[in-house]
Amino acid sequence: MDDSAKRLLQRLMRRIPTPTLRSALEKWGRLTTEQQKSMDFTQSKWALTERLLGICEVNSAIFSEIQINVNQGMWYAFQLMDPEDDAKSVDLTQFKEQFKSHLRELVRNVSIKMKKHTDEAVWIRIAWGDTFSRPNHLKPTYIVHYLQTPYVFVTSITSKQKPLLSQALVLSTRYQAIKDANLSGRKLTAIRDLLMKKYQQVFPTKYPIPPPENNQTISNQHIEKEQAELAANRLQMACEAFGGGMLPQLQSAVYKLETKFRDHSNKTMTEREEPFRCVVKFTSTNLLESFRHCASSGIASTPVTPLLSCIPLKGRNYFLITDNGPGPSSQRGQPQV
Amino acid sequence: MTSRLPPRGNVTTSYAHSEKKRDGSTVPATSPSVRARVRGAERSSMAPLRPLSRLPGLNSANVLLVESEEQFQQRLADRLVEETTFTVNVRLAKSLPLPVENEESRPRIDLVVFIINLTSELSLQSAEASVKCLDHRYFLGKVSFMVTNARNVAAPGERLDAVRKLAASLHCALLFAEDQTPDGVTNATERLLTILKVAAGLVPMTTALYLSNLTRGTALRDIDQPSFD
Repeated sequence: MDDSAKRLLQRLMRRIPTPTLRSALEKWGRLTTEQQKSMDFTQSKWALTERLLGICEVNSAIFSEIQINVNQGMWYAFQLMDPEDDAKSVDLTQFKEQFKSHLRELVRNVSIKMKKHTDEAVWIRIAWGDTFSRPNHLKPTYIVHYLQTPYVFVTSITSKQKPLLSQALVLSTRYQAIKDANLSGRKLTAIRDLLMKKYQQVFPTKYPIPPPENNQTISNQHIEKEQAELAANRLQMACEAFGGGMLPQLQSAVYKLETKFRDHSNKTMTEREEPFRCVVKFTSTNLLESFRHCASSGIASTPVTPLLSCIPLKGRNYFLITDNGPGPSSQRGQPQV
Repeated sequence: MTSRLPPRGNVTTSYAHSEKKRDGSTVPATSPSVRARVRGAERSSMAPLRPLSRLPGLNSANVLLVESEEQFQQRLADRLVEETTFTVNVRLAKSLPLPVENEESRPRIDLVVFIINLTSELSLQSAEASVKCLDHRYFLGKVSFMVTNARNVAAPGERLDAVRKLAASLHCALLFAEDQTPDGVTNATERLLTILKVAAGLVPMTTALYLSNLTRGTALRDIDQPSFD
């Protein structure tokens, strides 16, 4: 085992938080059960690292196969546009070969690892290097692509690497272009569920059946709600706009407004040529849940305004709103992510 | 002091008649200021809640809890119905006016309680708007205000003063409640039940108006207020 591999392992061990160390090593799966048992997790991390190095000397594990998925950083969604005729029939092996060959054409020294998970997702791990340096395994880019869908999710990529990756993806998936889907979040599962609508949808009905599992049965017969119907209507409209049950966890929504300053008493501001810019940002641990509660409790007026309801409808959380456009779907120029 | 009850045979009809007859003479009139405050809204609103439009129930009391946030009222209601000496029926609402569809099934409301959360401006505004939808005859001791989060730092002093002024001008009782702990809910329930029993006429020799003279809040002038700044 050479020095750089040792240093890599040490830095990786330092990055993993101590409580999750045991499960991470189990997931890695390169240690046999006896070796796993012999690791004493009450020792300090430094001692554990030394022990691990010793075990790996014995195993001579190959470091390029480390797939410790650290779930930090933001995931960004991209959408492939304009499929060619055979885009739907791209299968896994074809995609793998094409992607690797295209990317290796563009970048000299790059380490690519691809793996298919059980839920039809292809995980790609790229360690970037250039003509003069070896691939940097400490800052890898992770890409998740669902075959036969036009969605790609990327994390930890720099602006220099983005066009290279885009080119490789477009060519290997047989589409013609790739664009930013304007959706970002901390949890991959959340933005995936939002984009592919994998949460519970509520459809408008003329005769809504009251849900039987509500807590009406345990409520006392002496207590009566006067405005129960109004509350039920609000709840129905809120669920139609945002969904029922568990909602994907989005952390923020950003609206960038470009408009004109309108105040006749202030001449200097109204006479400016450039548009007046403001940014409205909503943040929460679970943004869609918060919006749904606002609508159902009456804080936000129902029916829900299209500015809010298009977050789950269009699957985006970054909007550029201009004066002339018909609403949140208008977009001029390239928004930065 | 004997009160004249209408003869048993025709309880329903004569009661309705006597309500109209007594309107100007025996029933004490609400003060002109209170009446002026609610009359303007009465003409515009659909059907203001009237206190004497129904017959009272036997050994029971009905209370209406109005709260814009719909949080505290549920816990209060659960504790109120546990009362055993008489039946307590609780109606919950977010704001007034109440929907017209419930008009027939709604019993006579003995006490209306407005629950205001001092940390929310919306709560106060909603209560102020709802107050206008009550018939002026309620303000003879059948309305009270319950305020939560008065000790919270997020609640500005002006809001509490505004609530105090509102309660004083309408001659209503102002109760302070602590809604975060079960003990606080129990305390609030007990005090509310005291007023409710009187408002429903279950306490002999005491009327709601008599009690309101003792419990109604007064708005202190700035000079009288001790300042803690």
